[in-house]
Amino acid sequence: MKSLTLYIIVLFSTIVTLFSCGEDDSGEYSELPNTSKVVMDLNAVPYPKLSDYNFFEGEMKSLIPVEGVIPYDLNSTLFTDYALKKRFVWMPENVRASYVSDTDILNFPDGAVLIKNFYYNNVQPDNSTRIIETRLMIKKDGKWTFANYVWNDEQTEASFSMNGSFTNITWQQGDETKTTNYRIPSRVECFTCHKSQQDSLPIGPKPQNLNKLFNYSDGTKNQLTKWVELGYLENNLPTGITTSTDWTDKTQPLELRVRSYLDINCAHCHREGSHCDYRPIRLAFNETVTPSNLGICIEPQEFINNSLTHIISRGSTQRSEMYYRLNSVLENERMPLLGRTIQHTEALELMDEWISSMEEPCP
Amino acid sequence: MKRIATLLLAFTGCCSLYAQQSCDEALSVTEGQYNVSFNDGSEVPPNCIDTAIATMGVWYSYTATENHNISISTNVEDVTNTDTRIMLYSGDCENLTCIDGDDDSGGNFTSFITFSAMAGETFIFAFENNWNSDDFSFVLTEMPYNPPMFTPQDVTLSGAYKNCVADLNGDYLDDIVSPVEGFVNVLYQMEDGTFTSAQLTAPSTVFMPGWSMAAGDYDGNGYNDLLYGNGSGAAIMLADNEGTSFSEKIESNPEFFLFSQRTNFVDINNDGNLDAFVCHDVQPNVYFLNNGEDGYEFIQGGLGDYPDGGNYGSIWVDYDNDNDPDLFIAKCRGGGSMAAMNELHRNDGDGVFTIVASIDTNESNMADMIQTWSSAWADYDNDGDMDALVGASSFANGGHKFMVNNGDGTFTDGTEGSGYDDFTGINNEHVAHDFNNDGFVDVFGGGNAIMMNNGDMTFTPMTIDFGHGPIGDLNNDGFLDVFTGTKIYYNNGNDNNWMKITLEGVDSNRNGIGARVEIHASTGTWTQQIRDVRSGDGFRYMSSLNVHFGLGLTETVDQLVIKWPSGVVDIVNNPQINQTTHVTEGETVLSISDVENNLFKLYPNPAKDYIQVEGQNIEITRALIYTVNGRIVSDSQITNNTISVQELAQGTYAVILQDNTGKYHTSKIIKE
Repeated sequence: MKSLTLYIIVLFSTIVTLFSCGEDDSGEYSELPNTSKVVMDLNAVPYPKLSDYNFFEGEMKSLIPVEGVIPYDLNSTLFTDYALKKRFVWMPENVRASYVSDTDILNFPDGAVLIKNFYYNNVQPDNSTRIIETRLMIKKDGKWTFANYVWNDEQTEASFSMNGSFTNITWQQGDETKTTNYRIPSRVECFTCHKSQQDSLPIGPKPQNLNKLFNYSDGTKNQLTKWVELGYLENNLPTGITTSTDWTDKTQPLELRVRSYLDINCAHCHREGSHCDYRPIRLAFNETVTPSNLGICIEPQEFINNSLTHIISRGSTQRSEMYYRLNSVLENERMPLLGRTIQHTEALELMDEWISSMEEPCP
Repeated sequence: MKRIATLLLAFTGCCSLYAQQSCDEALSVTEGQYNVSFNDGSEVPPNCIDTAIATMGVWYSYTATENHNISISTNVEDVTNTDTRIMLYSGDCENLTCIDGDDDSGGNFTSFITFSAMAGETFIFAFENNWNSDDFSFVLTEMPYNPPMFTPQDVTLSGAYKNCVADLNGDYLDDIVSPVEGFVNVLYQMEDGTFTSAQLTAPSTVFMPGWSMAAGDYDGNGYNDLLYGNGSGAAIMLADNEGTSFSEKIESNPEFFLFSQRTNFVDINNDGNLDAFVCHDVQPNVYFLNNGEDGYEFIQGGLGDYPDGGNYGSIWVDYDNDNDPDLFIAKCRGGGSMAAMNELHRNDGDGVFTIVASIDTNESNMADMIQTWSSAWADYDNDGDMDALVGASSFANGGHKFMVNNGDGTFTDGTEGSGYDDFTGINNEHVAHDFNNDGFVDVFGGGNAIMMNNGDMTFTPMTIDFGHGPIGDLNNDGFLDVFTGTKIYYNNGNDNNWMKITLEGVDSNRNGIGARVEIHASTGTWTQQIRDVRSGDGFRYMSSLNVHFGLGLTETVDQLVIKWPSGVVDIVNNPQINQTTHVTEGETVLSISDVENNLFKLYPNPAKDYIQVEGQNIEITRALIYTVNGRIVSDSQITNNTISVQELAQGTYAVILQDNTGKYHTSKIIKE
């Protein structure tokens, strides 16, 4: 019953969006020139090959977008075994996304596609770049569809596959050579993180994460402003947006960095109404303003060992189960459950610094 | 503070500034309160808890003048609590053996330890400064001698998946099994209770058992195989015909994402071959259906089909006493998702299952949205049917539920007043075993407590200071022990009697998984007990396949009955207690004789059409007829004490007759 209601709401809001967009077409928005070379037939997607969409021009592996395919970035990003990412968004002509709230993903129009390329630089033995996969989320009939494309060894083409697979990769990460058996997710794994009830949803493109400067080919600009200018976003943004930060930016407050990291890495399962909300933590950016939602001085429900007295034990990394799980590589202990198989050393340093900075121990 | 104390000591000229700074200088203490200060350069106590490395230690010894239970606590009244750790050793300073260690059991990060000390026995204990080096106090208390239930002993075994206690070399003694990449490390239990270690080669797999393990003889060659539940797939490691290595593997298709949770070996379609069942976290469950000829079919669907899963703890249990294993799935999922609805699948035989608890039906009253990862099933009241403790992993959507089997395919909520209504410990693991051998099955579950069955459908928590692990009899003394990865917690036992039964299937699967084992007695606190033989209970671990009964003070067991999945029933009259009885499927049928008994006579015998059971005060309700070779030919309900033999071919047959009290009687008949 609940999912049916949700479905109706989604359907309804989509109709409203389409309708209102139609109304506003001639109004205050500059229209996108009809020059996009992207091929998007919603009845035919997902296409068998990534090149079928014509998102990129020139050699595909250079990931140079055609007009209308707009690069974007998030304040903080999901850790997936150090894979680098290039994100793009594309929308059909005359439709646009709209603002819902700082913490909800933008309400995208049908035909919108989010393009996320996963790659590594300095891949051994020859320090080359290797693109592993390109994950698409396409909005179709008011619902998001996954389409994953796995790149060939020649890096000339990527083929549709939703079965999931492993690929070994060794690369140079700073002064360290790292290796992982990289997991390309199956449809089920995609859904496990991207679900809201029975529907799939993107995780990143929320105003809180998009509200940042981006270095476009024609200059640096706030991403949301740029999207409005491009006609990709309805100009209904509030004046102030509560914004996450780049967790690697050491000039930012420590707790803000931690909350930003936890939001993008953990909140898809640990927020109210999610996969794992029977556990006491709530890690969405708007929820972590409450210390207990971060697990501070909250006893863990799952016993690992006697030392781990709290999810976050103030002042003691060794007693904090969240740190333990972020540090563990055993699949039944590690967090996040999917997407990470090796330690994210820099994030562990951040967590250590944050936990150690809390002076008064838990009672 | 520390400096002042040191200064005072220097002034008084007392002994040495460095007393208690090493094991050799350990201060001998008796009952009382003592102040503790760490000194630089002191000897660091060997760590009995974990791998943390401290830098200082303070040493004491205690020698018992008479038998005592001793407690040492650093939570001392009117003294500021600090975050302490204590290590307890036996032996001497050249040869310290860890007995126990504790970090925080005293509350507020203080340490608390208890142990039994016999008159004249010396223990060494030491505090270390892993967390901080502040001064603190401890109190040593002597209490009346009362042996603890478990005594830990260190175990050295490498591997990250130390989740299995099962026999690997065919001697039916529980071994400790630890898979690693390319190998299986094993500690073989010897007859004398010691262990011999070995490393068996095994095929390499990416599907290492991060989530669960099960053991069973999948290929029926006499040696147990292993089922690995991994977050991306599942693998079966097949033991060779000598049990000396794992020579082959079966893996789920790498292109099929399988997020394994609980795994089980079970004969789903009752064809005599074990199948491998795997709970899927985020999709419908799957199983490898074994065809018995080196082949299998990988099947998704039919046994827990909620689209995005929620399947955590599968357990195969014959709740309706029809001699086949039914499936209960403990389920969990946040966000109000219906994936959390627990399911019960009734086995109607030959691989046909009917759902009796799910989002669509609750005819059994077992459908519930508790966030649970496992359920513990046993006949807690010894009334002949399996009851369930559905154990909460979180109280977000309801607490533990103690469900009592009504004997008609339905259950009644018996939580209120059971002890589970006000028990706040939660856990992912809930398993049912008789830990004190009193004849009433206990539950090892939430909050590091064993809920001891009081015998009246109430339970009392007994706190233990260790976590979960696989369970078995690791010194073959008839009392169940727990392996926690680094230690065996040996059950110290008591005066209660016990029986263990080991099985060898012939027509049924080799392990007898799915068999119902019963014991009957005439006097004492119980008159019958039942067990189901199963591979895989709780959430993660694989515990012994051997059947264990605690008998309480009962000295005489009238009958041991094994109801095999094939339909064969074996009966052992007056089985020996306090030892292991091995039963090969059908072996007791072969020894059935037509010895006169004073309860009844069969007449006529030989017979053409019908045989009458003639006797006073006996009502036969069921007759099983076997060939003299032990093969079952019929199993029928009977009335008026009349057995039909019309359908039988000429010859001699063994019969097992069950009376209306549940007892079995054996005889021979001849068909003309």
